[in-house]
Amino acid sequence: MDQLILASEECDVVNEVICAPADVKELFEFTDVIFSIGPLGFTRTIILFFLAAFVVVGLLYFGLRKQRMVPSKFGVVIESLLDFVKNGIAKDIIGPEGARYVPYLTAIFLFILVGNLFEVTPLINFPITSRMAIPAFLAIVTYVIFVFIGFGKNKFRFLLDTVWPKHVPIGLRWLVGLIELVSIFLLRPFTLAVRLFANMVAGHLMLTLLLGSGVIFLSAFPEIGLKALVGIPWFALGLGIYLFEIVVSVLQAYIFTLLSAVYIQSSVHFEH
Amino acid sequence: MQFLIATILYQEEGESSSNVSLVLPETAELIAGIIAFAIVFFFVWKWALPTLNKTLETRQQAVSGELAGAEKAKVEAESLLSDYKAQLADAKSEGNRILEDARVTAEQMKTDLLAKAEGEADNIRSKARDDASAEKSRALSDARTQVGDISVELAGKIVGEELDADAHQALIDRYLGDLETL
Repeated sequence: MDQLILASEECDVVNEVICAPADVKELFEFTDVIFSIGPLGFTRTIILFFLAAFVVVGLLYFGLRKQRMVPSKFGVVIESLLDFVKNGIAKDIIGPEGARYVPYLTAIFLFILVGNLFEVTPLINFPITSRMAIPAFLAIVTYVIFVFIGFGKNKFRFLLDTVWPKHVPIGLRWLVGLIELVSIFLLRPFTLAVRLFANMVAGHLMLTLLLGSGVIFLSAFPEIGLKALVGIPWFALGLGIYLFEIVVSVLQAYIFTLLSAVYIQSSVHFEH
Repeated sequence: MQFLIATILYQEEGESSSNVSLVLPETAELIAGIIAFAIVFFFVWKWALPTLNKTLETRQQAVSGELAGAEKAKVEAESLLSDYKAQLADAKSEGNRILEDARVTAEQMKTDLLAKAEGEADNIRSKARDDASAEKSRALSDARTQVGDISVELAGKIVGEELDADAHQALIDRYLGDLETL
């Protein structure tokens, strides 16, 4: 949104009815290096990556540091979040073996949750998960974990039984095997990453276009007169989407974590 | 749905080919993302979850300890209560016994007192009767003595004035008069 408002001079409020940047990348790529540590140049995006990490660490630290018999209200929220991942996701989906994956699942859930909620956080207004680096990396980690466990627990049966599923009628076996092979080893990491990425890109795009257009048109009232009223529906719609995006942020963090757990579960209990 | 909108918007831009880079992670961001996630992961793994587990364990121990303490206190209170109840029952029966004793004693005392009072009254009455009879006999003997004296005196007077009928009469009258004045 900052970008769009800064670019309001470029918006042709006289001829257009909505302000869109010339290139969608303008909304997502911040290439200005604010400071550098060694070879790593810190752009706004990268600073937000670390901010998200420190927000998670901070929330956990302040929620858990005092070991009290009766936890504070904030402590209860943090404890129930952790309990939700531990019991609601890890143990429910994976079973007793799920305990081993609780640290990973908790870390991705909280990191993605905070990263997503940056989309609707005032002054930040940018979901770090809309940068492919985060979803891609986390999806690859999940992929490595479930493939590693699959082979570790089942040796090469993991691959063989996937390609040649014995519970399927022999005529269809090659077809199902092919679909399974592609789905498990190629599509899973891709869909996992793209689902999160695309949701956050779309959300950020809608919020910036609608809220940005609303503000730009309404503030152009002296120049364009009544046409400035076009900004009202944009702004109203933008506020509606804003609330919707809060739900999307939480939901996508949950879905990513849940699917990671489901994939791990399918390798832990690989029985065909 | 959202992805569709995003796709449409990309197409509206008419630069979908150049937006491929949006879908590919940037190297610098990838490195930063890995480091940022690693911070979160290690903090969760090494600090947050162990701390939470420790907290939950201490809390559990404390709760079960308190429960055991409460159970002990309850048992103590119950035994104390039964003690008190037994003591109370004892005290009650003791009280009843004392009361009964007192009642019996009082009854006894009443009977004794009554008997004593009656005896005393009898004594007083008999003493009064004796006194009265003694007085009576004394009065009788006094009266007897006086009547004798009076008779002797009267006889003397009669003897002294027998010569004269008139005197005789007068004597009788005087005697009668004396009797009246007596």
